[in-house]
Amino acid sequence: MIVSKRFLGVLSLVASLVGSCAPVVVQEPTQLTPAIGKSFRLTQAAEAALTTGYSTTLRANTTWQLVGTVPQGEVYRTRDQIVTLEGAHIHEGYIVVDQGALVGFYLPVERTFSPVTPPKRLSTAP
Amino acid sequence: MRMRAGTGMAIIASVLLAGCATSGPKFSEMTATMSPTKPDLGRIYFYRTTVLGAAVQPGVRLNGEVVGKAVPNGFFYVDSPAGNYQVSTETEVERKLTFTLEAGQVRYVRLNISMGFFVGHVYGELVEEAKGQEEIADLHYTGGPKTP
Repeated sequence: MIVSKRFLGVLSLVASLVGSCAPVVVQEPTQLTPAIGKSFRLTQAAEAALTTGYSTTLRANTTWQLVGTVPQGEVYRTRDQIVTLEGAHIHEGYIVVDQGALVGFYLPVERTFSPVTPPKRLSTAP
Repeated sequence: MRMRAGTGMAIIASVLLAGCATSGPKFSEMTATMSPTKPDLGRIYFYRTTVLGAAVQPGVRLNGEVVGKAVPNGFFYVDSPAGNYQVSTETEVERKLTFTLEAGQVRYVRLNISMGFFVGHVYGELVEEAKGQEEIADLHYTGGPKTP
């Protein structure tokens, strides 16, 4: 059987397209300044849609501790659930809150900020 | 002739099934003898529950170093210092998982398989501790502890 180079090229292209069809998680550089001393409880679950087509759900009744600030807002993490952002790759994330709304995620390994557009209002209690 | 065909089928089936079998003690049998994590280290469990795509068993890299293989129904673990970690597996494409590890923390990374063009893609997903403990209980140990 003779297979043309063009056919193999097209096949390789299709394979690479299928293999990498999920977009990467949008990230921008940011600078975390460590901070502690604040926390809140999420009283209602919140689902944040990502530009990758996936979504991330913050569960109700989870407690979030301040770990620092970035120019985009305050960075909180929880031990009550795992938060990941999924796209072409999967990244652990902390939430970034500004004026009571989820504005994005801080990726601690990459040290980047991934925005949530539009911001998602959070229902919280002290 | 019919006997030969039947015998051939049986041999093929046994070879395929043998390929799916995973030896080694079960997690639930090992927990009593498993060494505890040193205080300055955390532990990362890697496991694969499904036999779907059993022939696809890529190496699993932790921060670039191969620490084990994605064997169906198998698990292994790595004790590592606190820090940032990247898990990657490579089939047609490389898919990465990034997460942090603290001293004394235990992380569970499930190795899932998704459909690919030529072969399935194996990728790591961070799983919560309770879920990880439940899913890993009946899986077989496939490696030794390594410190990268």
